[in-house]
Amino acid sequence: MTSTIQTSVQRRHLPFSVALGLGLAIVIIMASLLSPYLMPFDPMRMAAGPRLTAPSMKYLFGTDEFGRDLFSRVLIGGRLSLGIGITAVVSGLLVGGLVGLFAAFSGRTIETVLLRLIDVLYSFPDTLIALALVAFLGPGIGNATLAIAISLVPFYARVTYGLAAAERAKPYIEAARLARIRSGRLVRVHVMPNITQSLIVMGTLGFSSAILSASGLSFLGLGVQPPSPEWGAILAAGRNYITKAPWILIFPGLAICLTVLSFNLIGDSLRDIVDPRRKGRS
Amino acid sequence: MLFLISKRVLAACGTVIAVIMLSGTLIHLVPGDPVTAMMAQSVSATPEAMAEMRAKLGLDLPIWQQVLLYLGQVLQGDLGTTIRGNESVATLLLQRLPNTFALAVSGLGVALAIGIPLGFLAAVNRGRIADTAVMIVAVLGVSIPAFWLGLIMMQVFSLKLGWLPVAGSSWRNIILPALTLGLTYCALVARMTRSALIEVLNEDYIRTARAKGLREHEVLLVHALRPALISIVTVVGLVFAYLLGGQVIIENVFSWNGIGRLAIQAMLERDYPMIQGFIVVFAISVVIVSMLIDIVYGFLDPRMRHR
Repeated sequence: MTSTIQTSVQRRHLPFSVALGLGLAIVIIMASLLSPYLMPFDPMRMAAGPRLTAPSMKYLFGTDEFGRDLFSRVLIGGRLSLGIGITAVVSGLLVGGLVGLFAAFSGRTIETVLLRLIDVLYSFPDTLIALALVAFLGPGIGNATLAIAISLVPFYARVTYGLAAAERAKPYIEAARLARIRSGRLVRVHVMPNITQSLIVMGTLGFSSAILSASGLSFLGLGVQPPSPEWGAILAAGRNYITKAPWILIFPGLAICLTVLSFNLIGDSLRDIVDPRRKGRS
Repeated sequence: MLFLISKRVLAACGTVIAVIMLSGTLIHLVPGDPVTAMMAQSVSATPEAMAEMRAKLGLDLPIWQQVLLYLGQVLQGDLGTTIRGNESVATLLLQRLPNTFALAVSGLGVALAIGIPLGFLAAVNRGRIADTAVMIVAVLGVSIPAFWLGLIMMQVFSLKLGWLPVAGSSWRNIILPALTLGLTYCALVARMTRSALIEVLNEDYIRTARAKGLREHEVLLVHALRPALISIVTVVGLVFAYLLGGQVIIENVFSWNGIGRLAIQAMLERDYPMIQGFIVVFAISVVIVSMLIDIVYGFLDPRMRHR
C-alpha cells in the first residue's frame, strides 16, 4: 500500500483535486499559524473601526457590530477551528482505532458485542452525537472538542475494524499465530504498520466533519462562546445583522467551506489511491 | 420474508433499548451535580426543592437502578416532565413531530429529485466533463455547512427578493428550509446513485442487452436504472438519518417549530429530561425508518429474502 501512494506521487500522477486540496489546506494552515503577523488589527479590539462597515481596503472583510475588524477575526478564528479539528481527530482516531483493533483481535463474543454497539452509534449522524454530549457536558471549547472527538469514535472504530479484519485473514498473520506470537505483539508489530497509512487517510475525512460539527455547535451557542472568534460563533452573532451587514455572514462561512472542501478533496482522492477497489466508484 | 421482517423488527427493538439505556446514563456526564446545574438560574433552589428534584429524577438511586427505571418509564411512553414548566416531555415532542417529519420528507424529496438525475448523468458520462462537473458539485455540496447555506438563502430569497417569508410554520415557510436540506444532501444522493449505476453498468446482463442490439436509452432506462434504484433505496435510510441530524440546526435557522428547535432550546436551558426525550424520539424515528427501508428492500430485491 505504501508503494501505491509513492508510485502514484513519483509518477506525478497527483490528481488535480488533491493538488487543489493540498494547496488550499496549506494556505489556510499557514494563514492561521501566521495570523498574529498578518492581522491588521487586534481581533478582540472593539471600535477598531466604525460599526458594521462594508469591506474596504482598510477593513478587507468589513467590521462587525462592535466595530471589530472581521478580517483579523476570521484569520485568528482559523486557529480555533483547526485546533479543535486536529485535537478531536487525533483523540478520536486513537480511541476509535484501539476499539476497532480490540474488536478485531479479541474473541468472537467481544467482537460481536462491540461491533453491534459501534453499528448502533454509527447509525446516528456524528454532529448529533456531539450535540447530545455537549448538551450534558456544558458549552465551551474544551467540552465541544471532547464531544466531537467522541462523536468520531464510532466512525474510526468501524474503519479500523474493517482494515484489521481484512489484514487478519492474510496468510502472514496465520504464520505469525503459528509462531505463537501473542495478540498484543501481533497487532503492534505486524498489523499496525500495514494499516496506519489507510487510517491517516481516513483521519483527513474525519477532519472535515469535525470542523463542520465545531462550527455548528458554536453557531447554536453550545460550542466556543463569544467573544472568541470561532467561525461558527461569528456567524451566530452576524445572524442578527443579516440585512445590514451580510459580510459578517459571508466571510466566516466561506472560511468554513474552503477548509472543509480542501480536506474533502484530499481525503476523497487519497481514499481512491489507498483503496483501488473504490476507484471511480464514489 | 416473514423471517426477514421479524429479524429486522427484533434488531430494531434491541437498538432502541440500547439507545434508551445510554440516554438514561447521559445525565452523569454533567460536571458536578446535575441538579445544581439545572436549578442554578432558578429562584426556588431551596435545599428541599433540590432534594425533591433529585428524587424525581431518580438520582438518589444506584446507577443501574436509574437506567432500568428510565427504561421502564420510556417503554410505558413516559419521558418525564420538563424542568421549567413541569410539562410532559412526550406530549411536547409528539406535538412537534409532524412538523419535523413534514420538513424531513420535503427535504428528502428535494435531495432525491436533484441527486438521482445528477448521479445518473455522471454515471452515464463517466470520465467526461458532465461527470467531473457533477462530482465537483457533489464535493462542494458536502463541504458547505447547511446552516450557512440556509442563512444565505434566507438573505437572498426572503430579505433581498422578498419571495418567501423568513420564518414561521405555514406551507410557504417550508420551501426554504426544505430547499436548504435538499441541496445539502443531494450531493450524497448523487454520489451514491453514481456508484450504484456504475456498478450495474458493469454487470453481464447489461453487456448482453447491448449485444442483442438494444438502443442505449433502452439499456439505461429499462435494464440499468431499476436495479440501481433498488440499491439506492438502501442508502435512503442513511441519508434520512443524516438529514434529520442536519435538520436540528436548520430548524433553528428558520425558526421551524419542530423537535430540533425544541431540543436546542432545552440544551441551552439545561432541561435534561427534555434532551433525553429528544434523543430517544430521534433514535426511534431513525430506527423505524431504516427498518422500514430494509423491509421494502427485501420486497424489491428477492435475493435479500434468503439471507
